Amino acid sequence: MTPATAGSNPECAQYASVRIWADGLIEQWGGDPLVEDAQKLRTLLAFCEHCERTPDELVAFCYLRKRTTGERFVSRKRRGQVAAELRDFLATRGASGLDGRRLSAAVLSFLIHNGVMMHTGMV
Amino acid sequence: MEFKAVLGIRRSIRFFDPDKPVERDKIQKVLEAMRIASCAVNAHWLRAIVVNRSEIPPDTLERLKTPVAGLVQELAPVHIYCYMDLGVVNRIKGSRLKHLVDVGALAPTHGWSHRFVDELVYPQILKPLTESAEYEYSAAFDCGGAGTQGLLTAFDEGLGACWTGFNAEPAAAMLCIPSDWRPLYVLNLGYRLESAEAGGQRPRPDFEELYFEGNANTPFQRDPRVVAELERDGMLMTPAPIPERMQEIRDLARQLGLPE
Repeated sequence: MTPATAGSNPECAQYASVRIWADGLIEQWGGDPLVEDAQKLRTLLAFCEHCERTPDELVAFCYLRKRTTGERFVSRKRRGQVAAELRDFLATRGASGLDGRRLSAAVLSFLIHNGVMMHTGMV
Repeated sequence: MEFKAVLGIRRSIRFFDPDKPVERDKIQKVLEAMRIASCAVNAHWLRAIVVNRSEIPPDTLERLKTPVAGLVQELAPVHIYCYMDLGVVNRIKGSRLKHLVDVGALAPTHGWSHRFVDELVYPQILKPLTESAEYEYSAAFDCGGAGTQGLLTAFDEGLGACWTGFNAEPAAAMLCIPSDWRPLYVLNLGYRLESAEAGGQRPRPDFEELYFEGNANTPFQRDPRVVAELERDGMLMTPAPIPERMQEIRDLARQLGLPE
């Protein structure tokens, strides 16, 4: 994957995980969703700042390797930690109910397109 | 609805109106349909427990959810938790078979009598079956048939529905499940937020890959005239994808605050 395929938002090029997200959105919905709705990326970056990780580090945090085989897997416990951080993020912004879900949807979308299965009920 | 049209419009509905309750009489009709399903030896293994999602404590609901079905369980206003009661055959000891003899469903024409049940069917077939490795397969097959009748009735009543798994441990505690019941699936039930088409009839393997004639090497030949007839009757519908589906999902995501 190259930045050239990851939509036209220049901030997408900086992180591999954001490029994957951008490409996933383009493939799923067409157009260039991170450009058409810049709030999505702003929300992700604000959340990353809140939890003091880059987007790439956030995705990497959710994955562990099995000690026996080295196989990579998404950690349930770590997903839970990210969900807790997301709840905290929403609380600091005073976002609850549908507003909170809409805000968290950007972060969840980013994680889902990077293979980290999370749904709104976890947040 | 016509029967074939019900078969045709059934989809696994995953977008429910989370706040629209389901009428109690419609839920009962779903259960009634399960009850009259075909069932080996009239045992009736299926047990179903209806729970309104809003009455499940939030922390319990979270623990019931599986990773891939969590949102469906969260949106569906009604959950019907399905179990198979493996103890039933040794409790009834053939009595329901004898009831079938009494009412003329089973008859001497086919070898049935009370004595046949008491001396052969229960002690030599059914009781050993309950001790065999195949027992749970037999029970699960029947439960699947009964559950499907309930599922189709839900669509006939204008509801949407979707089977999902659930985490058995919190469910057992919440529902007071006896030790000889085994968890199956939960039927998530409610009014659709998505269209009835829900993106079109799902892709399926080729007919000839699944069904055979005479032996397992000879595919059953599909007659296009029959296909055309079933299309007219509404059983075979426009296959997915249909053009407006992605926009529909996106609209639903924005309405419900879901990730895109």
